[in-house]
Order: sequence, then C-alpha cells, then structure tokens
Amino acid sequence: MTDNTKELIINLGPQHPATHGVLRLILEVEGEIIKKCIPHIGYLHRGVEKLSEDLTYVQVLPLTDRLDYLSSMINNVGFCLAIEKLMGINVPERAKFIRTMMAEMARICSHLLWIATHALDIGAMTVFLYAMRDREKLLEMFEMVTGARLTVSYPRIGGVRCDINDKFLEELEKFIEEFPSKVEEYETLIDRNRVWLKRTKGVGVITAEEAINWGLTGPTLRGSGVYYDVRKFFPYDAYDKVEFEVPVGKNGDVYDRYKCRMLEFRQSAKIIKQCIEKLPTGPILAEEAPRIRMPSSPLKINKEDIQFEIYLMEKNIEDFIKKFTEVYASVEAPRGELGFYIVCDESAKPYRMRVRAPSFVHAGALSRLCEGSLIADVIANIGSIDIVLGECDR
Amino acid sequence: MKVGEFIEKILMIEIIKGLWLTLRMLFSKPVTIQYPFERRKVHEGFRGRHALVRDPFTGNDKCIGCMRCTTVCPSRCIHIKREKRENKMVVTDYVIEASRCIYCAYCVEACPVCALVLTEDYEYSQYSIENLVFDKERLLKNWDEFTKKWGKDYYFNKFWQPPGIDPSRWPKTKREQGPIQIKRVEEIKREGIDESFIN
Repeated sequence: MTDNTKELIINLGPQHPATHGVLRLILEVEGEIIKKCIPHIGYLHRGVEKLSEDLTYVQVLPLTDRLDYLSSMINNVGFCLAIEKLMGINVPERAKFIRTMMAEMARICSHLLWIATHALDIGAMTVFLYAMRDREKLLEMFEMVTGARLTVSYPRIGGVRCDINDKFLEELEKFIEEFPSKVEEYETLIDRNRVWLKRTKGVGVITAEEAINWGLTGPTLRGSGVYYDVRKFFPYDAYDKVEFEVPVGKNGDVYDRYKCRMLEFRQSAKIIKQCIEKLPTGPILAEEAPRIRMPSSPLKINKEDIQFEIYLMEKNIEDFIKKFTEVYASVEAPRGELGFYIVCDESAKPYRMRVRAPSFVHAGALSRLCEGSLIADVIANIGSIDIVLGECDR
Repeated sequence: MKVGEFIEKILMIEIIKGLWLTLRMLFSKPVTIQYPFERRKVHEGFRGRHALVRDPFTGNDKCIGCMRCTTVCPSRCIHIKREKRENKMVVTDYVIEASRCIYCAYCVEACPVCALVLTEDYEYSQYSIENLVFDKERLLKNWDEFTKKWGKDYYFNKFWQPPGIDPSRWPKTKREQGPIQIKRVEEIKREGIDESFIN
C-alpha cells in the first residue's frame, strides 16, 4: 500500500475564509500530515512605505491607520512617537493618558475580534456573537470621540486631535466595570470545553528559544514563556505611570497563546481604569507640535535640500550623510512589537520609512509552526498567531 | 487523572455550563439592530459624506480658494479650479473624488473659513463610480440633503474647531466661526429679521 502514496500539493487561500484576509499557503501534504508549508503574501500590498516618502509627516499619519486596521489607534501612536522623538516634542501629560487609554481600548477591540474569529475557525460559533456584541460598544465609543469607528486618525504629532468629554468617560467606565464578567462568559464557553482543548492543546508548539530566533513578539512570544513586552521594557506614553502585569504562558502551544490574550483583556481593563482615575487636566497638544499644514518648524522644506543628486555632486559625501537622522520607535501592538524606522533629511517628508510589522514576521514563522501537524491544525495556528494581512503586506 | 476531573468529564459539566449560559441569553434583550428598518443614530462629528456649506445669507458656498485643503489632503482627491476676475480670485469649480477620499477630515480642519464639512450622512452608495465624483453643485446639494435630515436649527462640526486645542493655532476667521444657521435667507427674511444684517 505504501507504494501508492505520493505527495500532494494543496493551495489554501487566498480566498479561504479562515485565513483572515488574503493569506495563501501552499501545503505539501503526505496523507493528512503536512511536510512543508510555504506562506505567500503580497495580495494586499499598497506600498504604504514608498507612498509615505511623497507625503509630509502629518499626511502619513492617516495612512498608518490602514496598516493594522483592527487597532488603528496603536499604529497611529507608534508613528507619532517616532516623529516626536525625531523633532524633540514633549507631549503634554493629559494627551499621554488619553493615548494610553484609547490604545488599550483598541487592544481590547482587536483581541475581541481575534477571539471571535479564532473560535469561529475552530468551531465555536457562540463566542463570535458575544465578542462582536461587546466590540460594537467600543467602536461606538471610538466614534463618539474620533468621528470614525475603525480608521480613527486620532493621535496627532505632539498630542491628540480633540479632547474627550465626560459623557465618553462615563460610558467607558461603565463598560470597563462590566467587561471582566463578559470575559468570564467567553471563558465559560470555551476555556474547558473538551473540543476546544483537543483542538488547541499541544498544537503548534514552539519553544522559547525558537520563538526568539524566529523574531516572534507579543502574545505569540509570551505564550512560549518569554517575558517581553515593549510597554514594560521601553515604556512610552503613560505606561510607566500605571500598574499592570504581563501574562506569560508556559508550553508555547495554541492554548497558551489563547490564555495569554484572555489574561491581557483583564490587564487592559485595569490600565483603562487607572487612566480614568489619574487623568490630569491641561492641554492636549504640545505648543511646538507642527501645524496641520506642514512644513513647520523645526523642519522646514528647502527646495535645494530635496534635490539630493545635485547636493551630492557639489558637496562631499560626509556632509551628505550628516544631513540625515534616523529614528526608531516601537509600540506594543495587539499582535506584537510594531516599529517605525524613519530616515529623515531636513525636509518635512520622510526620506525612507520602514515598518516593522509583527504580522509579517509571524506569517514567516507559520511554516515552522505547521510542519508535521495535521491540515486542520493549520487553521488553529493561523488563528493563534493572529495576523492581519493589511499590516503584513503593507 | 484526579477523581474530580474524571467526574467532571463523565457528567460533561463544562458543556452544561456553556449551554446554560446560552440558554440564559435567550431571555435577555436583543442587541441587534435590524438595519434597513431601523437606523442607528451616529454621534456628532462622524466623518461621512462631503458637503460644501451653503452660506445662509448669500445662498452660495463659502470657499475662498486658498488651496489649503488640496495641500493637506493625503490622498490628493480635492481639485479646485479658480480664475482671476477683476483682480479677485474666484473659485469656478470644486471637485472631491469621494471614492479616493480616506475620510481623515484634515481638509475640514485646515479650512480657514469653515467652508467644507464631512457631514453625519453615511448612506450614499452609488452604482457608478462617476456619481461619487462630487463637483461644486453636487457638494452644495449634499449639504441641502443633509440639512433636511438634521433636526436642529444650527449646525456645527467638531473638526472645525477641535475641542481642547488652543484657538491661537487657528486663523482669525476660523476662530470667529459660530454655528451655521440652517434656514435659508428667504426664510429668515420671511420671519422679519433686519435686512441690513444680511449685507
């Protein structure tokens, strides 16, 4: 009988509903066991990095919404942090707290969609409905303050766009009060469910060392038992002024990554609660923040500066290099470490922008996670690393 | 395996707990909105369909053709045509390609005379993409359509003067901008308001 077996190549995606967007996987299978898994990406490539070279820093900000569209607030914060570092802008205290609060709201929002789709992929329909119910409330609150539900464009270089009001704070407080009980509801449904355990425990195991070598970050890394969180190690905004814990898993399988995110729900709720209590009064935009019509001080567009070729011919290369500054700032996005690396010249536009997207790294690690497992486990793995293809392909 | 776990497995405690939760939900109030029959009211400041504000006194738009919105637009979807007539810059046409717009409302914020607005109107899907290229007439028509639905006498957009921002950052005309009267000038006349106020 063994003579009749042969390798079969299966194409999973890009239209498959469980691949969370437009991820395409080429699976080389032998029977039911996967020998090789090759992820193909790029179906959602819009060239955000290249596009940003032609726009001023203020104009790039709405583009970062479209990277990880499930937590656009955190993307914006990451970009703003990089530019603030570059220009040396001190963000007012109130703006910092508002940003932290909204970023944690976005994290809950993103994790809720993750638990909804992940559970739906594995076969638990009810969790999807319950998680969407609670996400709707958060989106409504986003709409109240920012004017949009998903692509918020709320932070601004040097602060935030508009102030929050008491009505919003009241509603948020109400939501946060009852949110932990909602998380318990999801856990009642799937935490100890035997089908859930069979599908997740011992699936997609990755050791701590391997996870670090693959460059995994966020809950995917913490599920393997590595204590790393940008919020704790390189605190930005108001994260050094609030108390929270970083949940860490043990076995590094799908179940532990799920558990990590479920614990993060509670920590996020805790952070928001502290932010509401400690919210100071004062301005929400730094005085030196650039006006919406860039260019403004301290970086001004100079027509001669834009023409680099001419500059190179006239002056020597060392002067040319001195003109450039580079900056890297990272934030803890719901998926992992999201970094913005910007090389800038003296103009108001970035010379080069590079986005370190966690989804891109995680999609690469998918080949390692899926090797040797069953076809059904591929879906569980894709769900557990929680990739967004908008961020992956950029 | 411990005895407790074994009993739990035999009696399917965890599944019964989950089913009990779903059963309880059967008797709670539904949260679903039956969309085409009932509509959710959006919050003030929602960034929806574009419109040019119709000045209640002149009956025309307020755009002065300063080109700030075109320079600030990240997707470059605003096109302004202007002419010089008798030493005065006159805006002849104002085009927004709504299908390319990313709804960041930077144009609304940059406008020094509060002439442009992203209204709270969100149902404007079209069968053809040409219908989503709004010219000046269409933008003014959008405003009329929006004001018909708007229940109040005055309208003020949040992004004209974002709350919490220091007013000294805005130009003078923007700082002085108050809520816009929705009633047309004829209606104001009919109600007997002093005509000198109009000029």
